Amino acid sequence: MSHHYIQFKDVSFAYPGGPEVLHGIDFRITHGEHVALLGLNGSGKSTMLLHINGLLMPSHGEVVIGDVPVTKKTLRLVRQTVGMVFQNSDDMLFMPTVAEDVAFGPRNMGLPEEEIDRRVRGALEAVGLAGLGDRPAFTLSGGQRRAAAIAAVLSMEPSILVLDEPSANLDARARRQLIDILKRFSHTVLLATHDTDMALELCPRSLVIDDGRIVADAGTAALAAAPDSPAAHLFRVAQAPAFSASTN
Amino acid sequence: MPKLESALISLHALGRPAAGGRITATASLAVTLVYLVAVLSVPLYAPQRIVWLAVYPVVSAEMSGIGFGRVFVKSLWVLPLVALIGMFNPMIDTETAFTVGGVAVSRGWVSFTSIALRGMLAVQAVLVLTLSAGFFDMCDSMRRLGCPRVLVTQMQFTYRYMIVVIEEALGMDRARKSRGFGRKSYPLGMWGRMVGQLFVRSYERAGRIHRAMLSRGFDGTMPTPSSAAPAMNARSWTYLALWTAVIVALRLLNLDFVTPDI
Repeated sequence: MSHHYIQFKDVSFAYPGGPEVLHGIDFRITHGEHVALLGLNGSGKSTMLLHINGLLMPSHGEVVIGDVPVTKKTLRLVRQTVGMVFQNSDDMLFMPTVAEDVAFGPRNMGLPEEEIDRRVRGALEAVGLAGLGDRPAFTLSGGQRRAAAIAAVLSMEPSILVLDEPSANLDARARRQLIDILKRFSHTVLLATHDTDMALELCPRSLVIDDGRIVADAGTAALAAAPDSPAAHLFRVAQAPAFSASTN
Repeated sequence: MPKLESALISLHALGRPAAGGRITATASLAVTLVYLVAVLSVPLYAPQRIVWLAVYPVVSAEMSGIGFGRVFVKSLWVLPLVALIGMFNPMIDTETAFTVGGVAVSRGWVSFTSIALRGMLAVQAVLVLTLSAGFFDMCDSMRRLGCPRVLVTQMQFTYRYMIVVIEEALGMDRARKSRGFGRKSYPLGMWGRMVGQLFVRSYERAGRIHRAMLSRGFDGTMPTPSSAAPAMNARSWTYLALWTAVIVALRLLNLDFVTPDI
């Protein structure tokens, strides 16, 4: 796999017995691009991300990672290539210590212990958790747990990083640390988020999904500035106050 | 501290070796296996011979810094189960075994006592092992000693699932308390729905954890490092040899002159 791109070819998906939740998704993200996936709750962002490393398979169409179509036979290769950070960090931290959580992926890849040690140290250092490897994950703060979840993926040295709402529940400092970590990642990044400021800072390009359809695929800054597009509407929703303070 | 919080902390702590434990998990596991064989091989109608075997859980719990009191209190949880297993013996086996102050004690009561003692001591030994060695090191040692991988993986999943269930229960309990205004009693049907909800939530959470594992290459077997549990050292070999000798001696020596035969 020489070119680490993500391509969705007319992908549709329905959960068993349920209605279709993704409709004819079509896009391509090339190597090194940082792309934001924007959309309201229930628009299909997470469902779409789960297709990228084969946790869900399309009902119709094809997902291709590099030169490899995502099928049951290619899952191992695809999952080595795509590192996925889930919405809830606690779901990713299940081993007795942070270091063992970070080593979980490399160990499944069958790497030698010396290489695993090197990767674990490198990943923990990259996310600012050096020295905390022996701690159980539940003793860390929310921001540290998010960093540990990212380290757990970075240790696999993926070529594509997929993150599902990584800034959710983070305070300003932890959010800033997260942005710094992601800025250092030079490979492909697909970032599903409600955090439009983060999208503006990290991702030159954005995909906007609404009701399971891609409704915009353009530069993030241009989308934010466009007066009447569906994507601009999302930006306005994100930046407007949720409740009116007026009592009249 | 609320019970669910303390249960969660205890369960997390169970994963790590006790601070005072300097014996490898493999040695502790091997001694525990010897001990279980010794306890279970005592004849059913000779509970006085089992009593001596209580030396192991008491001494090893103190040696590893856990404290026997803690082990004893935890082992009481199995008493109802043990009582259930032996509860029909006094009714079925009514032949008199001995008399105390003119009161006849049946063989059924003797066997019931024997079952209760075995159950308690076996659970205490396993508790000492788990608390001192740490659950994950214990699992790794089981794998090293030839236990099938699938069984070890199931044990690790069970441990993890217990944590998930308690975490979800804790979240639900906090939500209930925050809007319950001190109310503690609810209709039985409501408790039933809450328990159902707990298992649905736990199931969904377990599904998300499983997805996170799959996305990092999990193929059904928990990966373990080649050097997860520390290798046997001189101290551990000595521990294993000494305890094996003591347990075998306590099992084989006839101490009935101290505790008269029944």
